[in-house]
Amino acid sequence: MFPKPMKQCLHGLATAMVSVINTVDTSHEDMIHDAQMDYYGTRLATCSSDRTVKIFDVRNGGQILVADLRGHEGPVWQVAWAHPMFGNILASCSYDRKVVIWKEENGTWDKMYEYTGHESSVNSVCWGPYEFGLILACGSSDGAISLLTFTGDQQWDVKKISNAHTIGCNAVSWAPAVVPGSLINQPSGQKPNYVKRFVSGGCDNLVKLWKEEDGQWKEDQKLEAHSDWVRDVGWAPSIGLPTSTIASCSQDGRVFIWTCDDPAGNTWTAKLLHKFNDVVWHVSWSITGNILAVSGGDNKVTLWKESMDGQWACISDVSKGQSAVSTIADTQQNEQ
Amino acid sequence: MSVDCLGTHAVLSGRHFLYMVNLEAPSEPPRKIARQSKWDVGTVQWNPHRSEAHVFAASSNQRVDLYSWRDGCGEAHTSLLGHTRVISDLDWSCFDSELLATSSVDTYIYIWDTRDTRKPTVALSAVAGASQVKWNRKNQHLLASSHDGDVRVWDKRKPSTAVEYVAAHLSKIHGLDWHSDNEYIFATSSQDNSVRFWDYRQPRKYLNILSCQVPVWKARYTPFSNGLVTIMVPQLRRENSLLLWSTLDLNSPVHAFVGHDDVVLEFQWRPQKEGSKDFQLVTWSRDQTMRIWRVDPQLQKLCVSDMVEDLMEGMSLTVESEKFMSSQEPENPDGGHQDLAAGSGLAQTLQQEFSLVNLQIRNVNVEMDAMNRSCVVSAHFGSHQVHLVVKFPAQYPNNAAPTFQFTPPTTIPSAMKTKIQKILRDTSFQKVKRNQNCLEPCVRQLVSCLESDMTQEDSPASGPFVLSNPVTPSLQAFPRVTNTYGSYQDANIPFPRTSGARFCGTGCLVYFTRPITMHRCAPPTEPTPRSLSALSAYHSGVLTPMKMRSEPPSTLRLYSGSPTRSDKDTVSISSFYYKERKSRRFKTKREGVDYNRPIKLAGKVIIQEISCLLPVHKTLGESYILNMSDIQETCQQNAAAALTVGRRDVVWALAAAATSQDLNPDFDPDTETPWARHPFGLTPDLCVCVCVYVRTDPPPPPLPSLDHYSQMSDVQTLAMLCSVFRSQAPPDSYFPYGHHSSRFPSHHSRYVSHSVTSGSCSSTSDSTTTSTWNTGETPWQHTAPWGESSPDDYRYGNQGYTDPRERERELHDMNKRLLDPANTLQFDDFKKCYGEILYRWGLRDKRADVLKFTSSPPEAHKGIEFGVYCCHCRSQARGTQCAVCKRLTFQCAICHVAVRGSSNFCLSCGHGGHTSHMMDWFWRQEECPAGCGCHCLLQSTF
Repeated sequence: MFPKPMKQCLHGLATAMVSVINTVDTSHEDMIHDAQMDYYGTRLATCSSDRTVKIFDVRNGGQILVADLRGHEGPVWQVAWAHPMFGNILASCSYDRKVVIWKEENGTWDKMYEYTGHESSVNSVCWGPYEFGLILACGSSDGAISLLTFTGDQQWDVKKISNAHTIGCNAVSWAPAVVPGSLINQPSGQKPNYVKRFVSGGCDNLVKLWKEEDGQWKEDQKLEAHSDWVRDVGWAPSIGLPTSTIASCSQDGRVFIWTCDDPAGNTWTAKLLHKFNDVVWHVSWSITGNILAVSGGDNKVTLWKESMDGQWACISDVSKGQSAVSTIADTQQNEQ
Repeated sequence: MSVDCLGTHAVLSGRHFLYMVNLEAPSEPPRKIARQSKWDVGTVQWNPHRSEAHVFAASSNQRVDLYSWRDGCGEAHTSLLGHTRVISDLDWSCFDSELLATSSVDTYIYIWDTRDTRKPTVALSAVAGASQVKWNRKNQHLLASSHDGDVRVWDKRKPSTAVEYVAAHLSKIHGLDWHSDNEYIFATSSQDNSVRFWDYRQPRKYLNILSCQVPVWKARYTPFSNGLVTIMVPQLRRENSLLLWSTLDLNSPVHAFVGHDDVVLEFQWRPQKEGSKDFQLVTWSRDQTMRIWRVDPQLQKLCVSDMVEDLMEGMSLTVESEKFMSSQEPENPDGGHQDLAAGSGLAQTLQQEFSLVNLQIRNVNVEMDAMNRSCVVSAHFGSHQVHLVVKFPAQYPNNAAPTFQFTPPTTIPSAMKTKIQKILRDTSFQKVKRNQNCLEPCVRQLVSCLESDMTQEDSPASGPFVLSNPVTPSLQAFPRVTNTYGSYQDANIPFPRTSGARFCGTGCLVYFTRPITMHRCAPPTEPTPRSLSALSAYHSGVLTPMKMRSEPPSTLRLYSGSPTRSDKDTVSISSFYYKERKSRRFKTKREGVDYNRPIKLAGKVIIQEISCLLPVHKTLGESYILNMSDIQETCQQNAAAALTVGRRDVVWALAAAATSQDLNPDFDPDTETPWARHPFGLTPDLCVCVCVYVRTDPPPPPLPSLDHYSQMSDVQTLAMLCSVFRSQAPPDSYFPYGHHSSRFPSHHSRYVSHSVTSGSCSSTSDSTTTSTWNTGETPWQHTAPWGESSPDDYRYGNQGYTDPRERERELHDMNKRLLDPANTLQFDDFKKCYGEILYRWGLRDKRADVLKFTSSPPEAHKGIEFGVYCCHCRSQARGTQCAVCKRLTFQCAICHVAVRGSSNFCLSCGHGGHTSHMMDWFWRQEECPAGCGCHCLLQSTF
């Protein structure tokens, strides 16, 4: 008859502990504004108000400073690793209105390209999916979004969406390379026809979706729900399902999850994840797109997960094993 | 500051004294002229005529005092009284040594004859207050005045109306200068970041424009031809250098006079000495030093020839020859240090602050009254109305903070009033401690308080309160320049993140937070501010001018050597969090703690392993196997592997159980299906109605387990299942299909055709299983395509086929496929995503294993490609497998076996086959092996 283990609940999560595997002392002289690991999780890049970007080798719990990248003339807001198929490439953006793309060659990091086409602070950089080649989206307080495409031979092609967000653009995030409606009627034998899409958030309280059509960037959708500046947007990675998901967070303390089941990508529905007491600065999706990390002005990090019935629940303080995440401030307190 | 026409004296104006500097002997202590006034000196200018070289005029509020300087001492001998409000500018005529023009915000421009000082000889009436007045240098009758963004050109003989009216700028004009050689041309410098050159005969269109990216305080022609010197608005405190431009090429400055440690307040050309080819530029800076710069002929030539190559050379000469003079003035006997500093700080008078303050904030109106040293701030926020009277003490901004008083009709609650008053007091005190102006920071602080309050109240009007950009479009591009807080002044740059978390790699959460030692100044109930401009209220410390990116590279290079930046002065976001700590110490009475002890500003970055929260497991990635020759073994091993990480996934166990049945491949669709009747005993609490084992006929409802795993985002299991039960099912495949999934809407279309033969599925759902289906979320019998079919349909419906056996076999092939083929692409996506994750884990072999099962189309072929018509279905195909019928597309003409590997065929008749067979055949034959009569060897070459 039916084997016994099958009676066990399928969605029982592993009970292993969430554990701190590394604590990196960056020695930045001023506050850190972003920290990000590369594709393999072997290196950590941090950026700070001290105008530097630092890269650490964090393999096996180590923290070896690999590079101290100087070149920005203002606080550096964000960094982004490119896909390793293009080499070791890191982009950084700063208050000094510049975007710098750094590349490691023969063990040394150097400026590969410096983009100075923005007229105000550049707040966000994000590399597109590797399927599109080396393409970087940059959002700036001058309201524009720039798309830098590497065309080979040290050349970068620049496309600029002027006035993408009135007053300023605060965040950009690429959609995964999936064919809209790919799951239906895709003629076999043809290479999938990927459409470049990304999402942006700005000071006009809007979340906007952009799509490339015939080489031109067009506003595809405008999502309204926030009542203050949108501080971050995150397009969830795809695991092959036909649903697109976007998270957005705002100065108003709200985090919205936007979903679209419509293959044409026209109908987006918003679901309020939570209203926080302070500004929410950042949202980040796990690789499988089912857990969202939310962080903001309250110096705390919470993890959220969608249950089987479609409700979002905070999982970072529900069970013993995971409590480490919720009390990040405490953790740090103990360490210092 | 003004330099006399002989080039021997420069006068510096302070509140209590006028200082006379001997330019011939700049190291001598300056002489002083005491003055009795509570007003600062506005403008001071020497009479430019040699005969009257000892006379200079100094404006003080509504009055102009005429001083004479003889034999080392000076005195005010005459006062010109007439203006009713503060005098903004004065200018001596170049032609008549007795004529002095004055402009005032009272909208009048007066021309005085110093021989008759009782009243002005000419009064020119403009509707708007004037900021500048300048005599034409070629035409003795003409003079120009600036009014906000407009320029009026007057003829003193026709005082009733202006000769010409030029709408020069969109923002306030700070500087106006006539060309020294051309009577029609003048230059205007403005808050809108530009210098424009005009011929007043063509008032509609400027001759040329110089875009500076920052508001320009003064732009003056050089005494040598084609030159122009600009300084930036000193209140911005961003740029300590003077720039020399060639009017012939305004793209980049030809030289930067670098050296002052603070902003330049005033500059003037020293009249050329006889026989000297050099010119000298005298500059006065807020750093309390006066510098004299030599401009040698080489540099002068640059303005003409514009050869950038010469620039470095010219510059080095100039810098070497520059004279440096410190005018650290002697102790002021009565006022003390600070008085003196403020007095000679010149740019910080209340009138100037009022005239320069940028308060273009939505919903806010500020009425400024310099006469009474007060201003009224009125603001409307939603239902709230605020009237705030700010009074500036006489000492302001010299360590004397203004007072703030709410007046009716203010509607905010009194608790809020107290709170705001406290904040404003703190803000203003912060500023005046450093002799800085505080009106604008205070107003912005007020606005942000009101705004945050509105946000908290969540009133409907709380939406787009925006610290809006200046109205002028040209300023929009450079919003930074509109405030007076140095670098952190930006109303539309978001407040930086000081903590954050990001998922990285596959199973890591990287987060950084503020160090525990840092606290927010604001109470935790207040939300973190929205934009960087909020920082100005908190920041303490001298601002460092940001380097301007917009500067051309050549000047940047010059600046890089200038000692204008020191790390100590750098203002940071940390100031926002910093203050709390100080005040805390204060509270705990631990004063005397070394404030200079380095405080750790950067927290640690923590990497946390969170892979246990994810539905995918690296250990499973390593231990899962894909052995297609023994599916049962694969399933069992995978089940065991899953168990080791604590997952009791039914799927693998079930699949293993299913495969444990020893079933021989059977191609007859009519064969009884023992597993179809297998009572699975599925329990509803599993939420899955898994695995109807169907070997043949009953067409598969889609996997419920897939639906389940996709809800869990378990791409690992999804991909593995899709790979094990891949599209090309082995002959003894099993069908762990369950009920229909709403997530896969696409499968219906394909199934309609199958459903004709699908009737026997209902035979599986007797007894136990029937109840199971009904407890399931969506009984699959009810899905449209299945519901239509019945056993009868099957039994009789298919008799219409000409060859039912063949048709059945075909369908049987289709049905053998474990997973809905319509979703193949989706399954491929699962595999690709999982492959990507495996790649990140460094499990490249496993990745290759999984990706082997994707049905992704071959890479686009580059070059010539032979199209093939499938020998079975005649559809066009690429490669050896037909995309439509999935069979191998062509047969060998000799052995009649399908060709998979190397093949050759005739381009003429299209016949061919295995390369080895063809080689053998044509070794001896010339005609086609298919017997078509084609002489293949002659027609084409293999």
